[in-house]
Amino acid sequence: MKTKTFFQFIGPSLALMLVLMAAPLVLTGYLSVRNCSLQMELVKAQESTPFGTNEILSHQAKLGSDGKALENCGFVGLDYYRKVLGITDSSAPKASATQPKNEFYAALQFTLIYVFVTLPFVLGIGFLLALGVNNVTQKLKGMFISASLLPFIITPVVAALSIKWLFRDNGLVPYLLSQVGIQVFWMAEAWSARLLIIIYGIWHVVPFAFIVLYAGLQSVPQDSLEAATIDGASRWQKMRFVTLPHLMPLIVFLSLIHLMDAYRVFEPVMVLTQGAFTASVQYLTYFILLQENNPFKASAAAVLTLIGILILLIPLLVKTYREQRGGM
Amino acid sequence: MASAALGLAFGLLVAPAHAKCTDIKGNGDINIVGNAFPVLQHISVAMEACKRRGLSVAVKMTPEARQETERAFGSGGVSAFDAAVVSMGSYSVLRSKGQLQSMTDLVAKYRARYNIEERMLVKFNGEVMAIAFMQNAQSLYYRKDIFDKHGLSVPTTYAEMVATAAIIKAREPSIEFPIAQTFAKGFDVGTEFANLLVGNGGRFFKVGTAEAAFNDANGVQAIAVMRSMLPFMTPNVLASNSDDVMNQFQQGKAAMGVLWASRAARMDDPTASKVVGKIAFAPAPAVVAGGKSATHLWWDGVVMPKNMASDRDTVFQVLMEALSEDVTRSGNDTAIWIRSAYRPTRFATGVLESIAAGAPIWPTEPFFGLAHSEVGKILPEALVGRLTPKAALDAAAAAYTRSATEQGFIKAPAATAASHP
Repeated sequence: MKTKTFFQFIGPSLALMLVLMAAPLVLTGYLSVRNCSLQMELVKAQESTPFGTNEILSHQAKLGSDGKALENCGFVGLDYYRKVLGITDSSAPKASATQPKNEFYAALQFTLIYVFVTLPFVLGIGFLLALGVNNVTQKLKGMFISASLLPFIITPVVAALSIKWLFRDNGLVPYLLSQVGIQVFWMAEAWSARLLIIIYGIWHVVPFAFIVLYAGLQSVPQDSLEAATIDGASRWQKMRFVTLPHLMPLIVFLSLIHLMDAYRVFEPVMVLTQGAFTASVQYLTYFILLQENNPFKASAAAVLTLIGILILLIPLLVKTYREQRGGM
Repeated sequence: MASAALGLAFGLLVAPAHAKCTDIKGNGDINIVGNAFPVLQHISVAMEACKRRGLSVAVKMTPEARQETERAFGSGGVSAFDAAVVSMGSYSVLRSKGQLQSMTDLVAKYRARYNIEERMLVKFNGEVMAIAFMQNAQSLYYRKDIFDKHGLSVPTTYAEMVATAAIIKAREPSIEFPIAQTFAKGFDVGTEFANLLVGNGGRFFKVGTAEAAFNDANGVQAIAVMRSMLPFMTPNVLASNSDDVMNQFQQGKAAMGVLWASRAARMDDPTASKVVGKIAFAPAPAVVAGGKSATHLWWDGVVMPKNMASDRDTVFQVLMEALSEDVTRSGNDTAIWIRSAYRPTRFATGVLESIAAGAPIWPTEPFFGLAHSEVGKILPEALVGRLTPKAALDAAAAAYTRSATEQGFIKAPAATAASHP
């Protein structure tokens, strides 16, 4: 293909990626090393509200000649990165029993637990479902496929809310468990809150793995399977040496997608537990942006999150790159 | 988000607003932002009713209204919104940053036409910076039938509340956890702490400064009060927000608790509640005997930014149409309105009595939100016993100091300031 034609083809998508992905990333990096703060002064004022009139001491921004608040803006280097990572000077007290855990590490810890616990279940259950559906009669296939895909179709927030209502106080699951003498308060302890989020994550993503692997099963070469049968291979051996190697590129693809998705876990943390006992890195960034209302610090947390996912993805990206090169 | 969904759903049940809008002079595209709860749905219908040829009005209702408002009003260019419906916490931040425009002249011009009442005006040094339309506070919800059955009197202090809870837990088999309150991590538990700290005589900041003062003996005592309630609350309490607490009451699983007055009317919603007519309302209990009701008073109102794009006169008229007496009357039970046209019903009892019992006004320092959020984030550690109350408050105070310094409310130490011009 001519270079010109090549660029004509990829030009539009490249431009979109530059504008919608690369530019925001660069901007986030830029924001993370800067800070702006208002120039505040203390003023005495009379304030009237529906509850009465009072003399108050109020902090008020100094205004410039254009009526806009005056700001101090400047380069702060890696200050915000250090703050997010909890790297303080040596005179500051170290984390101990009287100090809370660093939020970023706590959030990263849960995110990694979530990523690595959900991944094998998503692949395993998805594969078993695909095998199951592949082996049912043609009539039942449509019904099974539709039913299996439902959790994936539902909007994450709606799905998380539904799960929350199932597990909250007086919800269906605690009620049914209480009927057999088991009382679990799902938001009362770290392990149960985390387990609930992990269960939700598996439930929500398994259909995607299922549909991809099911499609892969349709293309398993029948002649290889027949040859294996003639050679006396057992069912397990055919699965192990023919089917699974054929599906391997799809399994790598699913792992790649799931690692990226799982690292961004947000809705269940936000909706199910509101961050009690557990927070994900995405949730932490959201919290800094909304509650502290500090886009600079949130940008630093966002960049750190991005670096984390790059580290996670490197092995899979390298493998994919090698395969693509090998195929060229 | 759940509250937004419920708010929208409930909003559909609200009677249509009656804004006439016939006399509005001026044209343009008006964009307004506000939070999502029943009364705002009611008002937004009235605002959008003013649409006509040449005048478009769009109201964006979102749970993230506060952040969207602050970003739009603070942007270097023209604001994406011509007006916002804000609570007083948000108003304080916008006002202190010099981002609101005075509406004094517009109030003078339209006072008679819209019967703008003096109590609605929020003034700063005589300039009208916001028009308030509703007030809110937390009040005590309690199961009158259970209290009557066991001959219990309504608690006036938190100590009495805990003692009453112990009696109910022992005598009333239908109630496993008598107290239901919003202790969810973040905003909710931070608000409970604010109520108890101030109710105990404490302060968030040293007078006239942005320096933290909440990590003192009053703060520790406030946490002690919260911990004394835990044995009588669901173990899921750290994830219990307003929706969850409302649900516990509606399902007949809670006997008492302090909750937002704006949820009161939902207790008698027969489609969601098993306790219609059984919940009564009283002032939030005091922390110390004879003290003030441990809640805070809020108002909600409308503001306009300095950097607005549309014609300010037209925007003001649309806002006033939506806050008219007719709109107040048609949505009487959606809020505790400030207008005298409002007719209080039993759902307003708790707030009106809390006001009479001396409840303070929600802190208006522009940096209060930072302290509130840090407390809300770390306090659960003290409630589950991972940190001592003092250690948790010290950690929150340190985190707050860092945030307030980053945002210019506290001056950075000289060395740091020099390196960050």
